[in-house]
Amino acid sequence: MTRLACFYVPMFVLAARLRSEPDLLNEAVGIVEGNGNNAHIVAATRRARKKGICPGLSLTQARSLLPKLIARSRDSECERTAQEALLEVAETFSPRVEDAGEGVVFLDVTGMERHFAGEGDGEWGVGSGSDTDLAGAARDDSNSHPPLTTPHSHNPEFRLARAALRACDAISLPARVGIAASKLAARIAAELPKSPTVVAPGEEATFLAPLPLTRLSPEMEAAAMLHRFGLSSIGDLAKLPESEIASRLGEVGRELHWAARGIDPRPLMPRPLPPEFHEGMELEWPLVALEPFLFIANSALDRLSKRMEIQGFACKRLEMTLTLDPEGYDARGIDLPAPTRDVKTMLTLIRLDLEKTPPGAPVTGFSFVAHPDRPRRAQLSLFGPSAVSPEKLATTIAKLISILGDGRVGMPMTVDGHLPERYAINVFSPPPPPDVRRTPARARGLLAVRTFRPPIPIEVTTRETAGDDVQIATIRSLAEAVSDTRPLTQSSRPRVEAGAKIEIAGTVRICSGPWRVEEGWWIDRPDIREYWDVELERGGVYRVFRGGAAEWFIDARYEM
Amino acid sequence: MAVHARCLDSQFPLLEARTTPTLTRTPRVVDSPVAFASGEGAAIRNLRASLEASIAAKLTSGSELIRNLARQRREEILPTTIEPLDALLGGGLARGKMTEIAGRGTRFSIVIATLAASTSIGETAALIDAGDSFDPQLAEAAGVDLQRLLWVRPHTMKETVTAAEMIGATGFQLVIIDIGSRRPPGRRVPDAAWVRLARVAESHGATILVSAPYALTGTTSEAMILAHAPRAHWLGRENAPRVLAGIETHLKLEKHRRLRPGQTATVFFRCEEGIEGGGEWGVGSGRKDVGYLSSSQSSSVGSMSSYSYPPLPTPHTRKAS
Repeated sequence: MTRLACFYVPMFVLAARLRSEPDLLNEAVGIVEGNGNNAHIVAATRRARKKGICPGLSLTQARSLLPKLIARSRDSECERTAQEALLEVAETFSPRVEDAGEGVVFLDVTGMERHFAGEGDGEWGVGSGSDTDLAGAARDDSNSHPPLTTPHSHNPEFRLARAALRACDAISLPARVGIAASKLAARIAAELPKSPTVVAPGEEATFLAPLPLTRLSPEMEAAAMLHRFGLSSIGDLAKLPESEIASRLGEVGRELHWAARGIDPRPLMPRPLPPEFHEGMELEWPLVALEPFLFIANSALDRLSKRMEIQGFACKRLEMTLTLDPEGYDARGIDLPAPTRDVKTMLTLIRLDLEKTPPGAPVTGFSFVAHPDRPRRAQLSLFGPSAVSPEKLATTIAKLISILGDGRVGMPMTVDGHLPERYAINVFSPPPPPDVRRTPARARGLLAVRTFRPPIPIEVTTRETAGDDVQIATIRSLAEAVSDTRPLTQSSRPRVEAGAKIEIAGTVRICSGPWRVEEGWWIDRPDIREYWDVELERGGVYRVFRGGAAEWFIDARYEM
Repeated sequence: MAVHARCLDSQFPLLEARTTPTLTRTPRVVDSPVAFASGEGAAIRNLRASLEASIAAKLTSGSELIRNLARQRREEILPTTIEPLDALLGGGLARGKMTEIAGRGTRFSIVIATLAASTSIGETAALIDAGDSFDPQLAEAAGVDLQRLLWVRPHTMKETVTAAEMIGATGFQLVIIDIGSRRPPGRRVPDAAWVRLARVAESHGATILVSAPYALTGTTSEAMILAHAPRAHWLGRENAPRVLAGIETHLKLEKHRRLRPGQTATVFFRCEEGIEGGGEWGVGSGRKDVGYLSSSQSSSVGSMSSYSYPPLPTPHTRKAS
C-alpha cells in the first residue's frame, strides 16, 4: 500500500517572512497584503494575536488595537525560497516529492520507514517545532481535535515523521507532518496541531470520522447544505448513502463523500529536481551602504548553504541580482574555482565584487542563484605528504582571485611553440599526493632566468665580425615595459609606454649568439627572432632578441 | 657594518645602576598549574594496564599515531637538493619555519630547484611571484611538477604577504615568496606582517622561503642566506664564439637559530645548453647532471680552472629555453 506524507507549514506567509527575519520571532508582527486603504492583515504572530490582531483586519484597525505592531508586507521572494527549502527537505526523505504550494508538500514514503527502524527516541523534535509561535497558533483552533490514532514511538513511520520535523526545524520552518495512505488523509493529519500524526494503513475512514466537516474544506454552497442536513462531522457524512448525496449535491457531493470515506484517487505528481537554488528578499527600505546589505546577505547565503548541504551539493557559480531604486537591476555572476558551501567565502567574494563595482543606486531587493555541483572529495594520506583540503583550497583560490584578479592565480602551463615567453594559466587542481613519502629527485642545477613580461625595447649598436654574424656592442633600454598580464599571442607585439624610466644600459663585455628561432612559418607574418646572450661591463647577463621588424628587445635576465 | 641601535626611553638600563622603582605589589608564589589530561582515553588506559608491559609499549591509538606523524612532519626538513646550500642550512629548509635568501646572486635558480625538490615528492607548493618573472617552460625543464604548483602573481608587496599568509594557512607544504629584482610597488610592509607569516608557518607546518634582493624578514626568519658576488662563466676565448656556461654565486649563512653563522659555500648553476651539449666541460666534481662547483663550507671561492672546454655546439642547434 502506498504511504504518503504531508509537510504542512501553518501560516506559511508569516513563517516564510520570519525565516528571513528571525529577529522578529518574538515580536508582535503582522503580515500585510495590499496597499493604502486596502492593506489588511493576512497573518500575525501569537503576541499580536493575543492583542486581538487577526487575519482580515485592516492595517488601520490593527494599529488602533496595537500601535507598536510591526507590519511587514507579503514577500513573494521569501515565500518562494521557503517553499523551495521545504521541498528540498522533503527530497532528503524521498525522491518522489510533489509541490502543493503555500507551505504544503506531499512525498511518497513507501518503504522509507525502514531507514528509521533503529533510530533512537532520545530527541523529541516535535516539541521544538510545535512549541514555536506559529505552531502554537493552531492549538488555539477551536475546531481542532486530538488525533484518534495514537502514535507509538516504536513505529518506524512515526520516527520518520519526527526526523522530518527536526529537518524542517533546521531550516527555520515550523512544519507539521502527517502520514497516511492518501493525500487527503495525510493533509488533514498534518493540519492537526499535535504533530506528527500517523494514520495506520486502512484506518483513514476511522481517523476522519470524528473530525469536523470543515476539515474537508467543502465549497461554500455545499457546506451550507450539509449544515442544513444536520451533519457536523466527517463520519456523519460517510454514513450516508453515496447516491443520495450525489443526487442532492452533484459531483461535488460524490467527491466529498469519497473524501469522507478516506478515498482520494488523486495520484502523487512528483516534481523534477531543480537545476539551481534560489534565495532572496525584498527589502523594506532601500539600502545605500554595503555593510547592512552584507548583514542581510549573510543570512540568505547561510540558508542557501544549508539547502545545498541537504542535497549534497556545493556552489560552483553564484549569480546575484540586485533590485535597484527606483527601477532597474544589477546582475552579476561570481565563478568559484571549486565548488564550496563556505558562507564566509561567498560573502567575501560578494563584498569584493561590490567594492570593485558598486551598483550605483540604492538596493531594494536581491536574489541569489547558486548553480550546484558535487563538492570535491579527497582521501587524505596518512603516511604520504599531507594533501590540501579541497574545500579550503577552493576558498583560498577564490579569495586570491578576487584580490588579485583573473589570470593572476592558477597552475602554470607550458604552451606548444618556440617563443620562450609563451605560458598559460589553468585552474589549480593538484593530483592527490602519493601514498608513501618519496625521496626528492636530485636537482639538475639549471640556471634560471627572470623573464620580462612584456619584453623591454632597447636600442643597440652593433659591430661587424669576420663572418656574417652581428655582435652587439652597447645596449640601452628605450623605456621600461608596461606590466602586461596578457600572454603574448601569435601576432601580438610588446606594448610600450613612452617616457618611462630607462633602466638597462651599458657596454657589452661578452656577446654570444645569434640563435635563431622561427615560429609560424605557415602564416603571412611568421615570428622570426635572433637571440643573443650579452654580459655588460657593469654586470648583468641579459637575453636580447631582434624581431622581424628589426626591433630589439630584452626578454630575460640571467640572474646576477 | 656598524649599526647604531636607537635608544628608547623604555629600555631598561644595563650598565648604569638606577634606583629601582618601588614595587607597590609584593611578589607572591603562583600556584602550580592544574594538570591537564593527556588525551589518553580511559578505554586505552585500561587496555594498557591489562596488558604486559612489552605489549602495552607497542600499543598505539589512532589519535596518538596522527599526533606522532604530525610532530614527525614538523621536525623534518625539506632538502633543496642543492648540496652546498643544504649543508649550510643543516640539511635543508626547516619545516614550520621561515628561511630567507637575500642578495644579488642566483636566488631564482635556488627557488626553482627547491620547487622541483618539493613537487617531486608529491607535495603541493606555491610560488608567489612578485616580480612576475617565472618561466613555466624552464621550470618544467628543471624538474618542477607544474600540476602541483600554484603560481600567484601579486601586484604589490601587501598583496604578496597577504597571499602568502592565506596560502600557508590553507595547508601548502611549501610557500615561496620571490620578490624579483626590485621591490614591488606599494607601501612597505610592516614588520608585524612577517611575524604573522612566521606564525602561520609554525602553526600549519609550512615551509616558507623568502627570496628578496635585500633582507626583509628581520628576526622572524629561522635562517638567512646571503647570495652574493655572482660571476658569469663563458665558454670560448678571444674572438672565438662564446657560449654562456653558467653563473657562479657565493652563499653565506648570515643567521641561523641553531647553527653557527658565517659559513660559506659556492654554487654554480649551468645553462640548459651546457647540460645537453656539454660533454666534460661541466663541473669540477665530475658530475654531469648537477651544476655545483664546490660545496666547501670553509672556503668561499671555488675554482673554475679545472674546466676542459669541449667543442662548442653550433649556435643554430640551440633550443629555445
